[in-house]
Amino acid sequence: MAISGAVSAGGLTRNGAAMHENNTFDPGIAFNFGLRGGVVRLLNLGAVATLWILGASALMLVAKPARAVPPFARQTGLACEACHTLPPELTPFGRRFKLNGYTLTTRPPLVNDIDDHKRNTLWLTDLPGIAILGQFNYSHYNRAPPDTGQPYPAHAQSDTYQFPDQFSLVYAGAVSDKVGAWLQLTYNGQAGSVGIDNIDIRYSDHTFDNKWVWGITANNYLTFQDVWNGIGSYTIPNFNTVSLATGGVAGAGTTGPILNALGPGVVAGIGAYAFYDDSLYFEVAAYHSAVPGGGSPVVDSVSLAANGGALDRFAPYARIAYERDWGYNSAEIGASALYVNWIPSVGYISKQQQLAADAAAVAAGTPGTPPYTPAQTFNPGAINRYTDLSVDWQYQYNGQHNIFGFLGHVTHERQQNSDQLVAATFTGSTPSGSAIYTNPTDTLTQALVTAEYFRDRRYGGLVSFTRTRGTWDPLLNGGNGSPANQYETFELDYVPWLNFRLLLQYDVYQVVANNQSPFNLSNATFPNSPGFTNIRAGNNNTWVLGLWMDY
Amino acid sequence: MKSITTGSLAVAAVAIACTVVGGSARTAEISLPPDPGARDAHTLVSFACAKCHGASANGISISPIFPILAGQNSIYIEEQLKLLRQHYRADPHARAFMWGISHALTDEQIQGLATYFSALPAVSGRPSSNPALAAKGKEIYENGRPGPNKVIRCIECHGETSAGTNTVPRLAGQHPDYLALQLHYYRDGLRENKLMNRNVKYITDDEIAAVVEYISTLSGASSPE
Repeated sequence: MAISGAVSAGGLTRNGAAMHENNTFDPGIAFNFGLRGGVVRLLNLGAVATLWILGASALMLVAKPARAVPPFARQTGLACEACHTLPPELTPFGRRFKLNGYTLTTRPPLVNDIDDHKRNTLWLTDLPGIAILGQFNYSHYNRAPPDTGQPYPAHAQSDTYQFPDQFSLVYAGAVSDKVGAWLQLTYNGQAGSVGIDNIDIRYSDHTFDNKWVWGITANNYLTFQDVWNGIGSYTIPNFNTVSLATGGVAGAGTTGPILNALGPGVVAGIGAYAFYDDSLYFEVAAYHSAVPGGGSPVVDSVSLAANGGALDRFAPYARIAYERDWGYNSAEIGASALYVNWIPSVGYISKQQQLAADAAAVAAGTPGTPPYTPAQTFNPGAINRYTDLSVDWQYQYNGQHNIFGFLGHVTHERQQNSDQLVAATFTGSTPSGSAIYTNPTDTLTQALVTAEYFRDRRYGGLVSFTRTRGTWDPLLNGGNGSPANQYETFELDYVPWLNFRLLLQYDVYQVVANNQSPFNLSNATFPNSPGFTNIRAGNNNTWVLGLWMDY
Repeated sequence: MKSITTGSLAVAAVAIACTVVGGSARTAEISLPPDPGARDAHTLVSFACAKCHGASANGISISPIFPILAGQNSIYIEEQLKLLRQHYRADPHARAFMWGISHALTDEQIQGLATYFSALPAVSGRPSSNPALAAKGKEIYENGRPGPNKVIRCIECHGETSAGTNTVPRLAGQHPDYLALQLHYYRDGLRENKLMNRNVKYITDDEIAAVVEYISTLSGASSPE
């Protein structure tokens, strides 16, 4: 989705790729908005900002990964607290449950078959592991975001009521003694559509002495398979809101690395992992474009339309982590590397096509600059290369009454833009008649630090700080080109029951540079309001009253 | 390694499959592996118990939320597992962690688990870092606290080295925090045991801290009968 936003920016902007790490994709939605973005391009509305706005509206159409689910509790006989401090954050036990392929069970098999070697050939419980997950929220913006769909800002409401924000049906649990699955179907309230959400299918095995646990995971969300919470899809904080950073106001959203943007509807991948001596974790994986609604094999134009771009071939991913547990404490430090070849979706018309259009215009008696209609959605051969290197950590104190967590990550991204799309070496044309990137190489560094505390799993809260900085690329990010953002999330939680959580969240923004902010966008769009790089980031401050439940 | 893994997990699968129906009328319909001895218990431990009670199936838990089971008296383990299976032991952690996971264990499996854990090398005590507190605890452990709201001495049942016997648990080497929590449970009636509920009914938080500190110094060596 985030990448859809990027489409309209005329390529995979970092803004576009900036979906917050907590978000997931809804492919159906992405597809719809991708098409809409395409229509926009075909109509050649011109202004990059306008395109950005319309395409980036898809930014808000994101859903969070689901959390703990009662089927796991029903399957294992363990209460939520065995696996979670508070969902979705995992305890050491929860990590091992996941690494063992969700297979631990005490459910009686209703149907069980074994072969002559006493090997299980079929194992079905009396109940499938189905859960309902719901997230609802009411959000209040510090200032009503501009109605960017109009030439002049109309009145917009400063309140949003998402009821539901996300509603999921999940199968979670063991499929056999060595295979488990998480299959999620989600209704996304903002998009009003249902789509395939997170999927993780695992095979796992271990040595007799448990020294080695290894497995294979096939999933559609890079980092969904991870078992720590400092980075990736389950980063804390993890509640889906419409705040700029976690859901996005229509037409805007914060920047972030592409690592956080390869989710359902965009990619699918397969990985192998091993966990040694209860401490060392290794994983290698590779992801490929996987866009619903496309032909077979995947047609890149479909991928491009749906997501603002498409993975070219396979994206390799490697992960290493070390965990040490002692007493009530668990500490992890990890690192990961991702390499992505990305075909950005851009409205493209070749020089030849442009000349032909000029000639046609002259022939029709209307010489001048015709409204070029992009003939296709990508610039042939234009591929951007992303390298994301991350370190992450998680410290957890999981006491009898007190839970304390300190976690986060630093991700450094290097984005080598295709020279065909960089201003100095630009080839072809786009709807706006210009290149998409100012710099041949852009970099982005994002840091997130979260501290949390809960008492008796009933009361608690967290403070989270995110800071993003990067090279200034005016064509990519608008204004002066800075992709910077900085904000904090303050959250208070009340958990009367472990599967029912109320929260009050306040997101405070100090920096929301350029096109990330709907307010900046409006200023950039209208001639009497020249673009600002960071005009009152605090306009984006958001109160969120949320409800999360599953059963 | 390969053969062990394949074989053992096949057994594990069957064992778990059987595990889950234990205690129900359907149990008898599914046969256990032919040898429900130590190896089978090990499989169960490695598949389920070890996740909390010692990752390498050594019975020594890392988090004090979970008790160390290595070297615990087998009769005590057996009794507790049956109490948990039947939901008679109902303290908060018993409910959260053990009710579900033990609900389908068969008597044979419980016996196997008890034998397995009791045979593991036990953990011994360690010198106290707070001798004054330990000395206060020693007084309570050995003599209790007299008076109308008395606390009964521990040594009577748990023994000089806190090795326990039969249904009386070994306390030596146990996580002090775990012991403290259980004493709170007993005192507050969250964990029911008529004897213990009465014995520690009037124990104070300070006394719990002291007696636990002392117990953590005990060796757990078999005391003379």
